[in-house]
Order: sequence, then C-alpha cells, then structure tokens
Amino acid sequence: MAKGSLEKLNKKLASPAVTAVLFACAAVLLLGSSIGGTRAALTYYSENYTSRVQMHNIGVSLLENGTRISWRDYGEDSNGEWDEVIGTLFTRMLAEGEEFKMGRTYPEVLSVANSGTIDEYVRVSIYKYWENGDGAKIQELSPDLINLNLVNLGEHWLVDQEASTEERTVLYYRHVLGVGEETAPFTDSLTVDGITASRVSQTVEVNGKYKTIKTTYEYDGANFGVEVEADAVQTHNPEDAIWSAWGCRAEIGEDGTLSLKQVTRGY
Amino acid sequence: MKRRTGIILAAAAALSITAAGMGTARAYFTTYALVRGGFPIKVGDRTEITETFSNWTKHLQITNEAGSEPVYVRAKAFCGDAYTLEYVDESGKWSLGEDGFYYYSDIVNGGEITDELQVKILDVPADIKDPLEFNVVVVYESTPVQYDADGNPYADWSVTLESFSTGAEGETGGGE
Repeated sequence: MAKGSLEKLNKKLASPAVTAVLFACAAVLLLGSSIGGTRAALTYYSENYTSRVQMHNIGVSLLENGTRISWRDYGEDSNGEWDEVIGTLFTRMLAEGEEFKMGRTYPEVLSVANSGTIDEYVRVSIYKYWENGDGAKIQELSPDLINLNLVNLGEHWLVDQEASTEERTVLYYRHVLGVGEETAPFTDSLTVDGITASRVSQTVEVNGKYKTIKTTYEYDGANFGVEVEADAVQTHNPEDAIWSAWGCRAEIGEDGTLSLKQVTRGY
Repeated sequence: MKRRTGIILAAAAALSITAAGMGTARAYFTTYALVRGGFPIKVGDRTEITETFSNWTKHLQITNEAGSEPVYVRAKAFCGDAYTLEYVDESGKWSLGEDGFYYYSDIVNGGEITDELQVKILDVPADIKDPLEFNVVVVYESTPVQYDADGNPYADWSVTLESFSTGAEGETGGGE
C-alpha cells in the first residue's frame, strides 16, 4: 500500500502539470526576492542622495542697511522646496508721515550674503525706472535722475559695461563668497535729483489776442522704482557654471578671483 | 524594415541629445534673490495772492493750493515816485532782501496760507479820494522747496522751468 502511494506520487510529480506549477512558484519567488532587493536598493540610494544634497544647498540673500530683506535658499530638507522671500526696498527709509524729498541723500547700503551651505559667486543687476500709477513704465523719463550711488568698484565689484544700459547696471563680485559671508556693499546712498521739479512740458494756445500757456510737470505723479536682483552660482567648475547660468565669459584666477572677458570695466 | 530601423535610431539619437541637454542644465547649483521699491513723486504748485485794501493799506496773503508741493514765497510792491510805501510785518516772518523783495521765512505747504504783509501808502495827496486812482502793483513769486544732501530745505530763486516742447519758452518758477 505504501509502495503504491509512493509510485502514484512519483507519477504526479513527474507530470508536466506539476512541473509547470513548480516553475511558476519558482518564478514568483524569484520575482518576490527581486522586488525586495530593488526596494532595499532604492531606500539605500535615496538616503545617500538626501544626505549628499543637504550638504550642497545654495542660497543667497540681499541686505539693506544690514538687514536681510530678501532671500532664496534651497530648503534644509532638500525636498525640492525653496525658502524664498521677495522683500521691499526703502521701507525703513522714512519716518511715519514723512514724505520723500528730492535732492536729499538717503543712506542706502546694499550688499549680498551667502545664506546657503556652499561657496558661491555672486552678481547683481540693478534696474532704475519711472512708472505711472498703474505700474506701466514711462520711457520718456530719465532713469539717470535716480542716483543709486555705486561703491567699491574695481576692488570688490566689476561693472559689466556690455550688459549695462541707462536703465540697468550689472555688477560682478570678484571674490568667492563663503558660507555665511557678506560682500562689501555695492551702494551706499540714494538721491533723486531735484531737477525733476523743474522739468515741464508746455502747450501754447493762441485765441485771438490772447495766448494761453499750459505748463505740465513731467514727473508729477510718477513713481520712481529701483529693482535689485542678486544671482548666485556654485564655485565648482566656475567658468562653465557662470557661462551656463549667466551667459557671461569669466576668468577665475588661482586665488578664485573673478574677472570678465571682453568687457570695458567702468572704474 | 530598414526604414523603420532608421526612424528608431533617429528617435533614439534625438532622445539622447535631449537627455544630454537636460543633464547639463541641471548640473549647476544656482539661485537668486529679488527686491524692489520706490516712492511717488509730487511736483508742481499753484499759488494765489489775496489782497484787501483799507485805510490806504494793502493787506497781502499768499495761499498755496491744497495738493501743491511746498514752496517759498516773496513779494514786492511797486508805485510811482509820488508815493512812499511802508511795509508792516506783525508776524515777524517777512524780511527785506537786498533786491527789495520781502521774503517769507516759513515753508508754505500745500493748503497753507502766509501771515499777512501790509503795504501802507504814505504821502497821499489830499485831493485824491478814490483809491482806484492809485497805481500800486504787488508782485509775488514762489519757488519749490529744494533740499541739500543732508535734507536741509532751501530756496533757489534762480531755478527756471525747463521746457522741451516745440515753440515753448522757459519761465521762472511761481507766478504773479
């Protein structure tokens, strides 16, 4: 009896159906073990990747009279989110109820700080313009009358004359800006020329014996605007990084000092 | 078959090029910070003189219309040689300049009016009864308040309006 049962079992095991079932089970087990391995690998690399990026968070801040007013830093969790604040200039310039005075020179010290965790190169673009009450630019009014006085040119900041216009000034910080460091200031004061009070347009109408002259103050009701953008790029492979990020050919000296190619420097 | 293989290879090549470009663009760490600010500018003024006449005296006050920018003002009276003019300032804010104008010491903001300056007409002939027969003219001028670099206000009476309109002429600030 026992011998008969063993023979039956051997026959069943030798049948193609059993072989196919066992093969399927082996395949499932193999697939299951592969999935487990893949998950483990993903977990391993994910942790390693997180750790590595956290050490390379880039960030930059703009400072007005020593106060951090605007910044954009890669998130500490390295989850693709940015800690970003777009600030407003001149909010502490006037006392409550005080009006802005043309001709007066106001302290306006602007600088850049490295608020990331890697060294970086920095450039600044300054825009000056006039706009009406609706925020539309007034091209006829002169940005030159808005004097944001530039300082530390040559030693610390380079003017990119080729990229600069009447409305825009582009400056490059010459040195590597280390983690937590602040640049030398690139401006120290703001003055709007008082001549804006005497620029008028006049229309003359002759009606019989009488001539009527209508005078309109060109700058009356206009808003002057200043916009500053600070850009930062990594110091690793800097010349290519600057070319890729800013479209500017820069030379980096052995000591890390930046200079611009093919530009007439404004100092 | 060859055509299909070519298409596949071309698509693969394009994909590779695109992927290579994406990889380069993502290779550098960059960031930026942005800030902006500004103020509205208010320029232009409209001033007006008020004259009243009593007891052979002209009482002068100058008003700076509401909404105008702050101004300094000065005034002066003219008459023939037959009369003598005497200026009376009870407020202590009018002072005689070297050019014969009387200068008001305070800034006149928009919506404000000066204290009174009196111009007395002396030596009036006894036979003249009607004040309209006199020809005493008062001229006043205003100029926008200027500020030096330290924010101290001052008056620049040499300021002229700069006009760029065709056929228009510049004129001194303020008005009569």
